[in-house]
Amino acid sequence: MTDNASLAPALEARGLTKHFTFRHGLLSRRGRVHAVDDVSLVLAAGTVTAIVGESGSGKSVLARMLARIVMPSAGELYLMGEKVVLGQKGRRQYASEVQLVLQDPFASMNPVHRVRHSLVRPLRIHHTAGPDLEESVKDLLRRVALSPPERFIDKYPHELSGGQLQRVSFARALAVHPHVLLADEPVSMLDVSIRLGVLNLIGDLRDKERLAILYITHDIASARYLADSICVMYAGEIIERAAASTLTDSPAHPYTELLLSAAPDPARGQPTPLPTRGAPPRLVAPPPGCRFHPRCPYVMEICKTTPPPPVTVDAGHEASCWLRLPAGERRPEASSQASLPMVRGGPGLHARKEVASRNEP
Amino acid sequence: MTGVWDDDVVEAADVRASSAPAGITETQDGPGMPAALETVPETAPETALETVPEPVPGGPALAVSSRGRDKGAVVTPSERPGEALLPAPSEDDAVFEICDLSIDYGLGPGALHAVRHADLMLRRGRVLGLAGESGSGKSTLVYGATRLLRQPGVVSGGSVRLYSRRRGEEGRVVDLLAASERELRRIRWSEISVVLQSALNALNPVSTIESEFDDVLKAHRREMSRKTRRERAAELLTMVGINADRLRDHPHELSGGQRQRVMIALALALEPQVVIMDEPTTALDVVTQREIIEELIGLRDRLGFAMLFITHDLSLLIELADEIAVMYAGRIVERAGASTLYRSPRHPYTHGLLNSFPPMHGETRRMTGIPGSPPDLAAVPAGCAFRPRCLYAMERCGTEAPALVPLDGEEHEAACFLHSGDVAVPGELAR
Ligand SMILES: Nc1ncnc2c1ncn2[C@@H]1O[C@H](COP(=O)(O)OP(=O)(O)OP(=O)(O)O)[C@@H](O)[C@H]1O
Ligand SMILES: Nc1ncnc2c1ncn2[C@@H]1O[C@H](COP(=O)(O)OP(=O)(O)OP(=O)(O)O)[C@@H](O)[C@H]1O
Ligand code: SF4
Ligand SMILES: [Mg+2]
Ligand SMILES: [Mg+2]
Repeated sequence: MTDNASLAPALEARGLTKHFTFRHGLLSRRGRVHAVDDVSLVLAAGTVTAIVGESGSGKSVLARMLARIVMPSAGELYLMGEKVVLGQKGRRQYASEVQLVLQDPFASMNPVHRVRHSLVRPLRIHHTAGPDLEESVKDLLRRVALSPPERFIDKYPHELSGGQLQRVSFARALAVHPHVLLADEPVSMLDVSIRLGVLNLIGDLRDKERLAILYITHDIASARYLADSICVMYAGEIIERAAASTLTDSPAHPYTELLLSAAPDPARGQPTPLPTRGAPPRLVAPPPGCRFHPRCPYVMEICKTTPPPPVTVDAGHEASCWLRLPAGERRPEASSQASLPMVRGGPGLHARKEVASRNEP
Repeated sequence: MTGVWDDDVVEAADVRASSAPAGITETQDGPGMPAALETVPETAPETALETVPEPVPGGPALAVSSRGRDKGAVVTPSERPGEALLPAPSEDDAVFEICDLSIDYGLGPGALHAVRHADLMLRRGRVLGLAGESGSGKSTLVYGATRLLRQPGVVSGGSVRLYSRRRGEEGRVVDLLAASERELRRIRWSEISVVLQSALNALNPVSTIESEFDDVLKAHRREMSRKTRRERAAELLTMVGINADRLRDHPHELSGGQRQRVMIALALALEPQVVIMDEPTTALDVVTQREIIEELIGLRDRLGFAMLFITHDLSLLIELADEIAVMYAGRIVERAGASTLYRSPRHPYTHGLLNSFPPMHGETRRMTGIPGSPPDLAAVPAGCAFRPRCLYAMERCGTEAPALVPLDGEEHEAACFLHSGDVAVPGELAR
């Protein structure tokens, strides 16, 4: 699959890992933050993939590795099926294919430059302008629904609302004609009433321009609204992934279940009590076995010692939890067996039926 | 794991950065900042204190309410499950009332009208939610109503009353805007406590958690011995789900959620009748947020305080609050019981805001949010401030500002000309 560029996903990550080392105390002992561990991910053209997780779960570090701003400690990237040679070289070329949009539009736009300037720059650097530069800029503004463009082109960032400015940052990302857009919490700084406008813009870029989009958020409801599939991150690992509504309607991992019961949901009338308490682990010394085990209401002996493998619970639905294997198969060997670098569901892994009911510890 | 790049080597301090406060920000009066207890001459006059005999028939009505709260309307408990367990609210349940409050920043024609003619009533043991987007005036309202407003803020009109009713004491009405510093000092913490929006950074970085509690208890409970104070602090900390051995910790040793819990424990230390929380969970993760809310509701059930809970997250409020007020550009535009507001919004802004939260169930359909963006308070449109974004705007909306008026009796109020009886109400605002 990966040798045919036209069929290959726009961007694929295999086993991406990032450990930050740091000096610690006066004796300069070294410590290690396990920010992201062994994450594999496929971003296909014309889809939005959401990453959902709590603060510190590694979402931004993952996005920055995908954008090649942070060098992975291990793992590989494939752009249109081509293996990417990591390092300083070729990063500008890579940036013309993969663009990152950040959370705070006010911090990411230069306050002394007009909108025109912010858009002309990438057009020039990447030689992506049409014959008429001004027209190319206006075109970008129209693509992010800032029209008529004449009204926005000469504005300074402080003259625009947060939502408008975030659209300008998308326009700037689009200026280089990327195939992949990585959006790291693009709406969390915006007022509630204007968030949907930006989410719909992202949806339109997927549908009309067939971009491959990664949408990072801590708001699972917005992920359900926008994304085709959702990956849940916990303590540096992806612990569950599925089609968006499958994940929210029938979560297979206890942590996803926890996230869902915590998320506001006025339609349910009465909030469900949280199944468990506690906080994510410190990433300097993540717990052995399943990283969720200290908080898990269903924890078993094997969870404390051996990391669970990703288990296919249904086509396209994977959860890394020992509960998802039949009791007889919950053996340490299963862990290493299934944690092959390329676990993507599909015909390669035969579907295993749920064994333990979620409500029966 | 292959090589580790040199540029990744950071100082330990950086690694903490995401969990520790980025530095200590503003200090302010209010919880955690004993500055609120500044000394004033002991001889300060106490003009504002009116003593009234205890169970007052019609209660607060005595206190010259500007908006005719004394109509004796019958309040029906809403359909919210669990709500029926609480006694049906009635007029004399009011514990804190804001009437026609207006607050400006600056004076004269250049003044910014941050809050205009706001009315709110907190009922004993109930949760009132105040929702609104950034800059709508929520925090200003809290500052103004609790006398924490700083220059250039000025209260330009209205009144705020506390209907105090403590066990073993005579009931009394305190006019907060007229209260002396001395009276305020007595009320803060013990009758009304406020957790301010920047509370995550409000703890003193150099003192231990224990000394924060100690300061509050020492100032208000002179009779308590050192030992009793320590026991009480431990008890309070345990009450909000933190192990008492954390008393000796400094704020930076606690997570954001734990610091927020400490603030809540401090706010409850003297068992106040009114607790005001300005965005207490906004900076926290959803799971921590839910834990804290579960705790708050449990404490409310046990201790019976009334709570004003402020947030921009209307979907959260619907689950949490008994009643909700929605604020837009300095005005309260709608007020109703939580489930009524959710099922039958009457103001186009509320309707649009509710449609800005994607649902967790059912089919995903395209939603549109609200066109345009919230106004800058320095340039609020004439007439109804929501008009430029409103799908239903009429000519009248451009010239007159609609007042908040009762719709279905006293229990549902909206500020919108669509409900004036002159025009047909659009279906989605008439459900
Ligand atoms: N440059 C760095 N040096 C050391 N540790 C880092 C660095 N950047 C991130 N980390 C750590 O890596 C972990 C993951 O951080 P990351 O920013 O990816 O989380 P996140 O999921 O994006 O959280 P949030 O929702 O708060 O944005 C955290 O523990 C963080 O402290
Ligand atoms: N000290 C001040 N001087 C002048 N204007 C101020 C001051 N403090 C606040 N304002 C203005 O008053 C308006 C209301 O601010 P306020 O902080 O009350 O809003 P808010 O609803 O609490 O918003 P948020 O959700 O962002 O906390 C804003 O337009 C703000 O810019
Ligand atoms: S592997 Fe074990 S501890 Fe981890 S989530 Fe599943 S049941 Fe819980
Ligand atoms: Mg992040
Ligand atoms: Mg505020």
